[in-house]
Amino acid sequence: MTASNKDSFLNLIASKLGRERIYDVQRPGLQVLAPDSYGSLTSDELIDILKEQCFFIHTQVIESNAEILQQTLDDLVAANGGGAVITSGDARFAEYGLKFANASVWEEAAGREQNILRSEAANTAIIFADYALAESGTVVVGSRPDQGRALHFLPAHYIAVIEKKRIVLRSTQAAADLNRRIQAGEPLGSSINFISGPSNSADIEMQLVVGVHGPLRAAYVLI
Amino acid sequence: MKVSIFSTCVVDLMTPNVGIAMVQVLERLGCEIDFPASQVCCGQPAYNSGYLEDSKLAMKNMMLAFEHSDYVVGPSGSCIAMFHEYPKIFKGDPQWELKAVALKEKSYEFTQFIVRVLGITDVGASLEGTATYHRSCHMTRLLGERETPFQLLEQVQGLQMEPLKNSDNCCGFGGTFSVKMPEISEQMVDEKCGCVAETGADILISADMGCLLNIGGRLSRKGEPVKIMHIAEVLNHYNPAATKEEAGHEPANG
Amino acid sequence: MSLQTDKREFNERTTDGIGNPFMRNAVSSAQDSLKTRRLSAATTLGDWEQWRTLGQQIRQHTLKHLDYYLGQLADNIEKKGGHIYFAKTKEEASGYIRDIIVQKNAKKIVKSKSMVTEEIEMNHVLMEAGCELTETDLGEYILQMDDWDPPSHIVAPALHKDRTQIQSVFTEKLGYTGDESPENLARFARTVLRQKFLEADVGITGCNFAVANLGAINLVTNEGNGDLTAAIPKTHIAVMGMERIVPTLEEMEVLDNLLCRSAVGQKLTSYISVIGPSAAGETDGPEDFHLVVVDNGRSEILGSEFNEALQCIRCGACLNVCPVYRHIGGHAYGSIYPGPIGAVITPLLGGYDDYKELPFASSLCAACTDVCPVKIPLHEQLILHRQNIVKEKRTGAAERLQMKTAGRLLASQALFGKALRLANPASRLISRHGRIVRGPQLVRGWINARDLSQPVRQQDSFRAWLDKRKGGSGQ
Repeated sequence: MTASNKDSFLNLIASKLGRERIYDVQRPGLQVLAPDSYGSLTSDELIDILKEQCFFIHTQVIESNAEILQQTLDDLVAANGGGAVITSGDARFAEYGLKFANASVWEEAAGREQNILRSEAANTAIIFADYALAESGTVVVGSRPDQGRALHFLPAHYIAVIEKKRIVLRSTQAAADLNRRIQAGEPLGSSINFISGPSNSADIEMQLVVGVHGPLRAAYVLI
Repeated sequence: MKVSIFSTCVVDLMTPNVGIAMVQVLERLGCEIDFPASQVCCGQPAYNSGYLEDSKLAMKNMMLAFEHSDYVVGPSGSCIAMFHEYPKIFKGDPQWELKAVALKEKSYEFTQFIVRVLGITDVGASLEGTATYHRSCHMTRLLGERETPFQLLEQVQGLQMEPLKNSDNCCGFGGTFSVKMPEISEQMVDEKCGCVAETGADILISADMGCLLNIGGRLSRKGEPVKIMHIAEVLNHYNPAATKEEAGHEPANG
Repeated sequence: MSLQTDKREFNERTTDGIGNPFMRNAVSSAQDSLKTRRLSAATTLGDWEQWRTLGQQIRQHTLKHLDYYLGQLADNIEKKGGHIYFAKTKEEASGYIRDIIVQKNAKKIVKSKSMVTEEIEMNHVLMEAGCELTETDLGEYILQMDDWDPPSHIVAPALHKDRTQIQSVFTEKLGYTGDESPENLARFARTVLRQKFLEADVGITGCNFAVANLGAINLVTNEGNGDLTAAIPKTHIAVMGMERIVPTLEEMEVLDNLLCRSAVGQKLTSYISVIGPSAAGETDGPEDFHLVVVDNGRSEILGSEFNEALQCIRCGACLNVCPVYRHIGGHAYGSIYPGPIGAVITPLLGGYDDYKELPFASSLCAACTDVCPVKIPLHEQLILHRQNIVKEKRTGAAERLQMKTAGRLLASQALFGKALRLANPASRLISRHGRIVRGPQLVRGWINARDLSQPVRQQDSFRAWLDKRKGGSGQ
């Protein structure tokens, strides 16, 4: 069932556009429209923007550092009511010497069912962000064998650890960098998620309800 | 400066005071008035109803009527906005395209002309009262004029302006819309009347008579004691002796 | 659901909407609060007008080279082991999806919000094939539980319902025992739906944009249901209108920013995902990924005078500012696509026979055109529809005659002069105390709700005044 009708479908499009099929298109460069007021920002200024936005998206931001990271995360897990923790298999957990009680790790060896059940049973998920976007309060994470997609959505609480050097101003920079990596042929996972706070919905009387299908609460820890 | 008046068919048929006020204000500001009598209607009612060919007759008549004018000034943001649509409508028509562009380039809504061409914001008017202003959709969005009425009204002595809630929302006139979809139009004008009444203003001002007849007609039917005034009448409230007529209309526009 | 949601006459549907005070209150307060949120989210981007222009350029470039980008998308999806199917008609599209499901012997299906699946009547086809299908978007789930009540807004489908109505639907259909607070209703739905995700054989999603050079689709949601739908079941089927594609993540980023800000006044929604077939070593995500690209009338729009309508990114901003939508609500449009964009595209997809009134359900105030993040000249497209409807002689004979007569009258000084002289004497017959009280249908539409004075007497007219002062020329 692969691409069966492709040619007749695309030929019709070309004919509606009044020409033959084309096989080479240069996409026009995109004008960069970042707001002037931002200028060149220091890391502290980016953090301030991130914090301010997180207030609006109901996301707690905690400034921590490598030394006290374990304590910060333990406190957050406890504040979430304890329970099971699931983390990604990111190497940085070992690098920062992080260990959690009652914890499991998303891992290839566990297989689909097991990883999904562990995530569903976990009260808190902890992951490291690939990028963080200050303006929108977003963490960007890709899927990998040691970091599944459902890991970000099934647990009731979500904690993202953000290394400060990974904060960029906005989605423009992250998209450009990701696209550069794609064009360089770097294999990315099957999923890139831009996550901005906990899940929410305004489907009932347009009143915002935080916590629908995904996490009920989200916290970002800056190191 | 010679100014050709585009009176609009609503003014011709229903509200002569508005045309008179406009002429008197412009003369007071030093303009020489000209009235090409062959003008009739900008063609908007038929055009907006989808009757393109029928509407073009009216448009062509207007292009000829104002062919020799330097400036064309009308008391309606909507009708002037229609002139501004002509180049799109006659695009590629060798006989009419250039005439359409020429008319667009010399056409101004009344307040726009005073502020942007004459460079005047204080016309020396004075009017005691509290008023609110209805922006017409076509003047605001199609003609793109959002400021000049407010700049002029700010300078009117004794006039206190109250902001109108949801001022971006259409009043429900929409030309033939109001008679083709009367049930919907009525809901829209009702909400607009509620917002007008909420301001507590005694006077409702606008730069478009269509909207004013619509809102004014509904206010009158509901028994709301709000007068409607075209902005030309407000700006002509200078020396009562200068105008024969009382500037304010009864709400029904009579 | 199909494109058509209500077969009654337009007037009946409108009267229903106008007579529904809860719906009108819900719509107007949503419009009012979204206006502020949208404006503040837009201004943080800097020059919003420049962003709109950029959005328009991206959409126009992509449409102009649509065959190229769809071809590139197909190649990249296949490279990753996914399948892509090009469906000319809605029957082909829903038939293909049914075949996959039958072949897999799949029974349980979860679905995230997708307008195009409504258009191709997919739910109906799959349920007829014996599947248990669950809508997982909270709004859509509420509608499903209420016996598939049609959506009334493209972003907030259950906008027309209040919390009490939702509480009683949940109580009656699901045994809910809690109160009517949105938090508790949502929490209850979460619990019910969580189980559905875990049990599902197949997940079906829409697609905000396909990303051509990546061979992936972009989903924009707040609830997270789209991601669970795509991540947990072993099969993921995504359905897209053929025009919803971008060259790369860079264009997607611009459009997602315009979309989120225009739709809900957020900088970015909670979940923006770019997903495709599961990659080597990954344990969740689909083992089997299908993308169904739907034409269903779109190629007829491409390259036509309505081409710009295909720029639409389904943000719903035009609904949120439309004064007509405000009062009649979404159901009155009789289409899954309501509001100004619905009045433009519904007649294109569904024909004038059923939808010839929609293009006239607008005062042409142009609020829609002003707000559209990709600069579709919506009100001008409505006028184009009106011209076609007139050309096809679908307006009444009486109206056509009136317009022809008016066209002559309003183009001739001599005829108009006569009309000016006669207007006042003629109107005396239908007036009382200076006000018109009777008249033909068009006049009645006006005077049913508004007072209207008689036309001015010729000797009192503006032209007469000019003549008297000899200020006029050319007389």
